Amino acid sequence: MSIPADLKYTKEHEWVRIEGDIATFGVSDHAQEALGDIVFVELPEIGRTVGVAEAYAVVESVKAVSDIYAPVAGEIIEVNEALEGEPEKMNTEPYGAGWIAKVKMSGGSDELMSDDEYTTFLEE
Amino acid sequence: MSDLLKTPLFDAHVALGGKIVAFAGYELPVQYKNGALKEYTAVREGAAGIFDITHMGQVRVEGVEALKFLQYVTTNDVSKLVDGQVQYSALLNEQGTFIDDITTYKINNEAYYLCINAANRHKDVAHLQKEAANFDVIVSDESDETTLLALQGAKAQAVLQTLTDIDLEAVGYYKFSEGNILGQHGIISRTGYTGEDGFEIYIPNTVAVDVWNALLEQEAVPIGLAARDMLRTEMGYALYGHEISDSVTPVEAKLMWITKLDKGDFIGKAAVEARKSEGAKKRLIALKLIERGIPREHYKVFVNGIESGEVTSGMHSPMAGGVALAYVMPKHATEGDVSIEIRGKQVPAERTPLPFVRSNVKK
Repeated sequence: MSIPADLKYTKEHEWVRIEGDIATFGVSDHAQEALGDIVFVELPEIGRTVGVAEAYAVVESVKAVSDIYAPVAGEIIEVNEALEGEPEKMNTEPYGAGWIAKVKMSGGSDELMSDDEYTTFLEE
Repeated sequence: MSDLLKTPLFDAHVALGGKIVAFAGYELPVQYKNGALKEYTAVREGAAGIFDITHMGQVRVEGVEALKFLQYVTTNDVSKLVDGQVQYSALLNEQGTFIDDITTYKINNEAYYLCINAANRHKDVAHLQKEAANFDVIVSDESDETTLLALQGAKAQAVLQTLTDIDLEAVGYYKFSEGNILGQHGIISRTGYTGEDGFEIYIPNTVAVDVWNALLEQEAVPIGLAARDMLRTEMGYALYGHEISDSVTPVEAKLMWITKLDKGDFIGKAAVEARKSEGAKKRLIALKLIERGIPREHYKVFVNGIESGEVTSGMHSPMAGGVALAYVMPKHATEGDVSIEIRGKQVPAERTPLPFVRSNVKK
């Protein structure tokens, strides 16, 4: 199970990479493994504003439909359109080519976990 | 999960990284460690996929009136079967709706073997035993002693031949043979639920693990429930609880081809005839999405903007895209613009013939 140290995590198993006021969202290695083979991703519209823990994307695996929640609030400025053709990137590279969206942050979140905290959370 | 049953292969599934779920009262693997898509691909692209379908039930029907009894309790014409032949059929109630869909194996004029759905087993057996009181037959539930494996895919015959003295080349489509499988008596039929060539293998529980391991040694690929459902949906095969249930008759479910109204009386016949003359309440159709999306069970189907029915099975087919089986109003079965509502959006679809992808069964 991979849990990179430079990211923050949520209890819903999303990750966020914060660089200045830009945040990149994705789902963790644990999440992709629990979801199983991802075969469809519904991306948000660019320009949409999302609140903390608001569902902003939908991911479908072979058997299930899952909402994906925003770790922090902001305006969607970029989406990973490559996932429409290759949703399996979320399985194979959850922290790299499997990123979902980028937002211009409008606020932080007290709920984010460090890699160590997330590791402990997964163990509990 | 304490009330759930385990098949003799439960430990083998866990050892292979099987993700165990509750299904039809059993703990079964939904997928193994490489995931459902790779399992699906293995079966479609030439491997031999091995499925533990021991949850399915087996019922033996024996006696001088076995044929007469089965003609009365099943929909298909059992008199058409020769020894060693299998027939897809159904059990109906007096209302003409489905108790179950089954396969009937003819051993000889006085001995038949039925394969039934796990979730319906106790209901089916109770029904059959109640009706059997009026015939000179004995109905025995052999489900608890029997392991059922399916071996499906282009390599199935070559792989299975290494374990049995039955000449598989001589076993035609929907035919079966009894013989020796790793030293135990068993039944092998050229049947399946995937649209690939392959077999279903009935063996005593005592030899289940040995047969499973021997098939794995021959590089058979273990396949979980998720891939099994993908494979059957692509073929448009009905699944009890989805396309068929006790609320539809064969007239709605496109299963009149297994319902022989000219064979004499059988349970549900009068109701089916009445439904046929008054017209189906709804009709099962096959749909393919024109735009991106995945139809799922219970999603609403609209025709010309009117809510017409719902999806009974839907999936993302790696070969055909978003595909669905759905019930719609009879007038919408062949005409009108169809869409499936996905998360509040109307996604356009088109009617399509079945199967959704090419079948490779050896007829």
